[in-house]
Amino acid sequence: MDVMGNIVYPIAGLLGLYGFVSLASLLWEGIDRKLVARMQRRVGPPLIQPFYDFLKLMSKETIVPNTANYMFRAAPVLALATAIALLAYTPMGFTPILASKGDVIVFIYLLALISFFKIVGAISSGSPYAKIGAAREATIMVSREPAMMLAIFAIMWRLGKLGVDKPFSMGIFYQHNIWEIGTPMSFVGAIILLYVFCVWLASEIEVGFFNIPDAEEEIAEGLLVEYSGRYLALLKLTKALKAYIAASLVVAIFFPWGIAGYFGLTGLSADVVNLLFHTLKVFILLFVVGSVFRAVTGRLKITQAVDFLWKNVFLASLVGSLLLAMEVIM
Amino acid sequence: MNGHEILPYLIIIPLLGAFSMPIVNLLGRKAREAWAVIITGATLAVGSALFYSVWENKSIIVYTLGAKSPLGQANFPIRIVWEVDLFGAIMVLMVTLVGFLAVVYSLGYMKHDTGLDKYYTLIIILELGMLGIAITGDLFNFYVFLEIMSIASYALVAFRNDTWEGIEAGIKYMFVGSIASAFILLGIALLYGQYGTLTMSYLAVKLAQNPTVTAKVALALFIAGLLFKSGASPVHMWLADAHPAAPSSISAMLSGLVIKIGGIYALARILFSVYGAGMSLRGLYMGDFHPAINLTTVGWVIIIFACITLIVGNAMAVIQNDMKRLLAYSSVGQIGYILLGLGIGLAAYGSQTGEIAMAGAIYHTFNHALMKALLFLIAGVVIHQLGTRDLNELSGLAKTMPKTTFAFLIGAAAIIGMPPLNGFASKWLIYESSAIFNPILGAIAIIGTAFCTAAYVKVLYTFFGRPNERVMKARDPEGSMLWPIIILAVAIVVMGLFPWQISDKVMIPAVKALENQLAYISAVLGGA
Repeated sequence: MDVMGNIVYPIAGLLGLYGFVSLASLLWEGIDRKLVARMQRRVGPPLIQPFYDFLKLMSKETIVPNTANYMFRAAPVLALATAIALLAYTPMGFTPILASKGDVIVFIYLLALISFFKIVGAISSGSPYAKIGAAREATIMVSREPAMMLAIFAIMWRLGKLGVDKPFSMGIFYQHNIWEIGTPMSFVGAIILLYVFCVWLASEIEVGFFNIPDAEEEIAEGLLVEYSGRYLALLKLTKALKAYIAASLVVAIFFPWGIAGYFGLTGLSADVVNLLFHTLKVFILLFVVGSVFRAVTGRLKITQAVDFLWKNVFLASLVGSLLLAMEVIM
Repeated sequence: MNGHEILPYLIIIPLLGAFSMPIVNLLGRKAREAWAVIITGATLAVGSALFYSVWENKSIIVYTLGAKSPLGQANFPIRIVWEVDLFGAIMVLMVTLVGFLAVVYSLGYMKHDTGLDKYYTLIIILELGMLGIAITGDLFNFYVFLEIMSIASYALVAFRNDTWEGIEAGIKYMFVGSIASAFILLGIALLYGQYGTLTMSYLAVKLAQNPTVTAKVALALFIAGLLFKSGASPVHMWLADAHPAAPSSISAMLSGLVIKIGGIYALARILFSVYGAGMSLRGLYMGDFHPAINLTTVGWVIIIFACITLIVGNAMAVIQNDMKRLLAYSSVGQIGYILLGLGIGLAAYGSQTGEIAMAGAIYHTFNHALMKALLFLIAGVVIHQLGTRDLNELSGLAKTMPKTTFAFLIGAAAIIGMPPLNGFASKWLIYESSAIFNPILGAIAIIGTAFCTAAYVKVLYTFFGRPNERVMKARDPEGSMLWPIIILAVAIVVMGLFPWQISDKVMIPAVKALENQLAYISAVLGGA
């Protein structure tokens, strides 16, 4: 067995990615807060404020409630571990480290597992506020994922028809992309699916309409109400990583083009350049879907959000998928 | 090791254990418990050795009672034969493993009950009956072992005869179970009257030469009786009463083993090895051999029951407030998956889809035995420590019983089919084959899983919530109850790490052995 190729390089790559994405995603939070502050005619915090926040939370005393059980302590660690594992399957300007046939299911599973661990951690605290937050998170999760799953399976199936070596792999987007199909119907379908994915991204990172599970003012921080100190720091980091990962998925599906080819780069340097360019695209997408959406809208009620996700977004996903699949089916 | 030589000990040891138990009991409680553990432990050792032998040699073990050859002076089998292929060997391993753990668990769990000499006798007899079903190659021998298993389980369900629900469930189970057994006996009588033999492999040849209406009637009776024993909907109602009422160690054996050996295994054996043999015989002899039945039709009959079972079982599990009843309905739901795999394996007989489906069914049978045994043992711990199985009163159990609830988390995740655990691979095989065979069946399987997830998430919500006063006094159980749980949880995790290796090295060969009726027949008839 090729130890270097199979074990050492992937682990080194994963650690490198983890370091880079942690920095980039926390930096994005700083930029995001700055930009939203400017939109509201405030000066806003410095760009590296999230790093200060993180360090401060890490150094604070951690309080564990009387009523909490072991999952309260385990959940933040498990959630972060899941997010790190997910990095190995996330397309970030190049084919993911552990890309293999069918790994889209692993991607969706791990992404949902992060939320699941957050929910388990919240109910394990024994606080009724956290329990309400957890119930809301679960409701939103069940409502938002089907639209995304339908759309991503339709896209991957359609791209698989163009001929790829590993069908239903996250690396597929760097072989063919959705705009290549080129028929008017598929173009309209792709636009509709872009809408679906943008709303999905907003609900995944819980901004704007979908800032429901942690609603500060109503249920006192909801899910995270009992968390403090180190655990809160870990959860905040997980949230930042998850935002980057979810945005990476949308970027990879709709805007997968790299720039390394123009500079004639190959190998590692090409990957690094593509990663940086990918990060730029992620930031732009997060600006549109995150910052702007957060600045211009308030939150919906939970029932309205569920209605919106099923009646609007899921339907759009259905229509978009059908349009995309049309010329193959007929 | 020679599997042929150790096979009889699979019956001898439990038989010895059961019949000597009343005498050993005279030496006191400790001797009785030690004897039960030794007997089931020895059975486990023999079962593992047998499994290893069959798996290693890729052979079929035939053992003739009373002579070297089953044929005697004639050219057809005149003696009772036992015949173990890889499928049977997997079942043997499963039964001996879970049986042993259930007995160890009983040491702590049952110590407040009286009449335990009878309890241990019955539990060993239950294991004996199941092992007999798994190894027999004779139809009437099969019926005898089925009755041994059934009667032992009627008695064990009603073991706590000072509770109203034990008696009620026992009576219900006994009445309908006897009718189901009578169906099977009637089927056997019809076949014997028509073909004059009771040896499965010889009967397969006879059936293929001369398929008659009688054979079809007998098959209908078999399917009806065995679907009852497996707890398929719409005849699952005994199960939902029997499992909650039985002591938890017995529920673990009922749900993990009895419904699979007495239902799924027997069904697969009769359909594949006896009725489905015509195809391979025709290939060999070029003669006038037909499969006695149309496998596609029978496959679809089973698929229809499987779909009903899947939806009803899992959906009913969601609305339960009683922990053991929830697990019992979940067992019904999981039997639906296994039946779905079996049905597709028949309907798509000979294709790769059918093979995958059947591999998924066998794999899920084994996995579900581990998972459901684990979950029922945990339910037993909860009842033992808290005296209630009402989920509304069990809020926040994770605070005071961390090990138990963690094991439950593993079991629940495995039964839903989450990837690093063993339930994933087996369910995946069933999903994959059903989606290829007919996408609607795949969709039904997914809907069933959605219900299943809802049911278990509900339990987890309760366990990890805010602790109530009743729960604050609970503790993790003593070692004899905890260790079987830990062993099962570890087995689930370890099996989950090597899903495709297990599938390729054990389950697919088991299906190939099951579909190779020629080998099954010629092992007994000596190529005649």
